[in-house]
Amino acid sequence: MRASSIRLLYLLLSYWLLTGCSQWRYDMGAPIASSDLPAQRASLNEVLQLLGPPMRMSASDTGFIMAWEHWDIRENSLGITLGALGADFFSADWGEMRIKGEFLLVTFDHQHLLTSATYTDWDNDGGGGQAIQPFFSFVSVVDVEDLIDPMPQHDWGNLLLQSDLPSALNSGSNSDTGQRGLQQRATPKAIGQQSLEMN
Amino acid sequence: MYKTTLLTALIVCASLLGACAQFESKRGVEVNWQDTVTNELVNGTSTRKDVLALLGPPSQVIALGSETALYYLFEHSEGEGLILIVYNRMRINTRYDRAIFFFDESDTLTEFATRVYPADES
Repeated sequence: MRASSIRLLYLLLSYWLLTGCSQWRYDMGAPIASSDLPAQRASLNEVLQLLGPPMRMSASDTGFIMAWEHWDIRENSLGITLGALGADFFSADWGEMRIKGEFLLVTFDHQHLLTSATYTDWDNDGGGGQAIQPFFSFVSVVDVEDLIDPMPQHDWGNLLLQSDLPSALNSGSNSDTGQRGLQQRATPKAIGQQSLEMN
Repeated sequence: MYKTTLLTALIVCASLLGACAQFESKRGVEVNWQDTVTNELVNGTSTRKDVLALLGPPSQVIALGSETALYYLFEHSEGEGLILIVYNRMRINTRYDRAIFFFDESDTLTEFATRVYPADES
């Protein structure tokens, strides 16, 4: 066999060793322009015309709260495995995540007048990792699941009928019902109102 | 040499085949809040019964003391990807069509707003 053929075979072997470089992009919601911040004491109707319906909403003791959000999540990973050669006993993985987001929180009093508006945006490292794993890939080095959950409004009816006892006891404090405040995506469940649910 | 080249070409072609993906996910209530529909609603006159008759059951009912709000949500995700062996790329766009209606203690509509992305208009 010629040297060029051997080089070609090595190239092919390298090609099969790579499970690949993977890039996932999640774009959720529409961008919020910071210039869209409503004026103090604006009416509810003016804010709704400016920003459209909110993404999240909840009652509060002094009126109600509304939030608009936009998320741009970028996940990059690189993996090498021998699985394509029928020897699935070794894999090496590397991954990282980048999170960009915008959040606008607006509060209203009982007269439907704006009492406060806060806008924030961020572009952060969302974590990542490396792994060398024999036989099976037990660990995912990048986890975006809690960031791409469907909106809580879809589960509103189910939340009111939840059968899990700790959750049912705490339903009065659940931030997804629209009656007791709201929370952003990816808020850890071990703190705040949901920590009482013990699961 | 000819056989090796042919084999290489076949393997590369096989790897490149089936190299794209497209999917969509739809969750929530059917979008019935286009402008042509909500033009029938008038603040201060229309009632909760009118809104429910036009749009059906909402995604969420929010109690605001003596007032209530009906919230309608339709979540539409579209994904497309390029799947090669050495490089895979997926892009998923999620848009939220939504509508919100506020009612006073006598169930009269006080404020409302809607948002429908053009792709979901029909």
